[in-house]
Amino acid sequence: MNWIEEVIQRKRRFAVFPMVCADHCAYLLNINFAKVATSGEKLAEVLEYGYRLYKYDMVLVFSDPYIEAEAMGCKIEFAPYPRLVSCTKDFQSRIRKKSGLETTPAKVLRGSDKRPKHNRIKEILKAVRILKRNIEAPIFVSIKGPFSLACFIGGMERFLKLLLEDNMQAQNVVESALDFQLQYLDMLLDLDVNIMIGDPMVSTSVISPALFKEFAFEPLKVLITKIRKSHLIAGIHICGEVRQIINELDNLHADILSIEDITLKTKTLKMGGVSTNTILNGSVKDIRNEIENTLSQDHLILSTSCDVPVKTPSNNIKRMIKIAREIFDN
Amino acid sequence: MEYSLIKRAVVDFEEKKVKELVKEFLDKGAFPNEILEQGLIPGMKEVGRLFAIKEYYVPEVLLASEAFYAGFELIKPLLVQTDVARKGKIVIGVVQGDIHDIGKNIVKVMLESSGFEIVDLGKDVPNEKFIESVIQQKPQVLALSSLMTTTMLQMETIIKLLYKKKLRKNIKVIIGGAPVNQEYANKIGADGYAEDATGAVKLVERLLGVNS
Repeated sequence: MNWIEEVIQRKRRFAVFPMVCADHCAYLLNINFAKVATSGEKLAEVLEYGYRLYKYDMVLVFSDPYIEAEAMGCKIEFAPYPRLVSCTKDFQSRIRKKSGLETTPAKVLRGSDKRPKHNRIKEILKAVRILKRNIEAPIFVSIKGPFSLACFIGGMERFLKLLLEDNMQAQNVVESALDFQLQYLDMLLDLDVNIMIGDPMVSTSVISPALFKEFAFEPLKVLITKIRKSHLIAGIHICGEVRQIINELDNLHADILSIEDITLKTKTLKMGGVSTNTILNGSVKDIRNEIENTLSQDHLILSTSCDVPVKTPSNNIKRMIKIAREIFDN
Repeated sequence: MEYSLIKRAVVDFEEKKVKELVKEFLDKGAFPNEILEQGLIPGMKEVGRLFAIKEYYVPEVLLASEAFYAGFELIKPLLVQTDVARKGKIVIGVVQGDIHDIGKNIVKVMLESSGFEIVDLGKDVPNEKFIESVIQQKPQVLALSSLMTTTMLQMETIIKLLYKKKLRKNIKVIIGGAPVNQEYANKIGADGYAEDATGAVKLVERLLGVNS
């Protein structure tokens, strides 16, 4: 049993993982990030480098949030960092027909769907296989929550307005996103890998608790149930305000809840504790203070509240891990 | 004139109704500035209040903004003709490499509905374009938005460019967006940070010393 599993089962008090992703590792290695984002080998290489450098307790396979959106027809540009240029073109015509978006990961992998220029799902799977061979720590793959994926494929502003203007059409887009994610999940679970669902658009910094319950809760529940049935670890990461939906998040019965405010009471194991600004700009004292503030948690995966910014000083990450191990091991 | 009807229609994000009411009031001889100040602006102020107390969220604000603009676009040309005084000019945009502009759009509508003149540069704006716009438009405030940790670093670069071009002392720079905070604003030498759109309005009014 690894440290993450031990903390989840409350057999150990803490584990540590500053949310280091591929962009920061590529920056340290001075590798063009576009190459990392489009190659499974490169992605695995930089993530393994980060793991060996910092010696944290898990690895997160995450290059950018647009892997699935791109596979569903969104246009992505890769330089200097991946960014969503446009949403899925046929979104409007398809939702009018209420037929959803029919792209599936299987179609993308078979190459029968010509839309994605970069078949990056294949690259993610490749990176996972390499990392599983080379790394002893538990590996998590970041996938998008269906609601956030719906925002990407529908166009953020347009989709958010649709939630209030046309309930059925909005549901239709979320269902298309969920169908896609369920199939992608099958491929990942076949590789025996843990999952971290990133769903940034469901926080109450964006939508109301009522809309969360109507559009986001159930699709998340479906994914989490599927992951847990496979006896793999299911985590959720949400940036932004979650106080008003914390009970619902707790009731998803995920194994890990990665949120900004870890003082919120939950039954689910929390992940977080150090703000991204502190890891980027803070002093050793700032980092120590934030870690000490987490001591009231009985069990915790000490982490940053969101992914570590690209140009975060390497020493700050090392210090965070060192201080955490000193404090929690005593 | 019952300007409260326009206010209510904005708050209820009834775009079509706002348009009809504004046309009807103009036909009846209402002054465009009265429609703005007693109908549209109070509507968006109420939306801002509801957003601040978490009764409204981003989708509600987006729809209310559309309703506001439906009316505002009708009276805007008439306002220019009557030379209505604005509280100040603001250049706003999302920094280079970042295409997330919902937050910027909400801040824009709240500032515009609070009486400021807005020059919206859009999203993914090259640093040089911000500088050009400051030179050409001569705004009192430059508002920068970013939603990503990879792009927030551009804010510091833009402030450095303002110093380099000797433009910094004549302009206030404010920042906003998920990955930034007051601490980051202090670090990069911005004049202020606002957590949300209503905060941005208060911040600009404070920086420029104008009343709400």
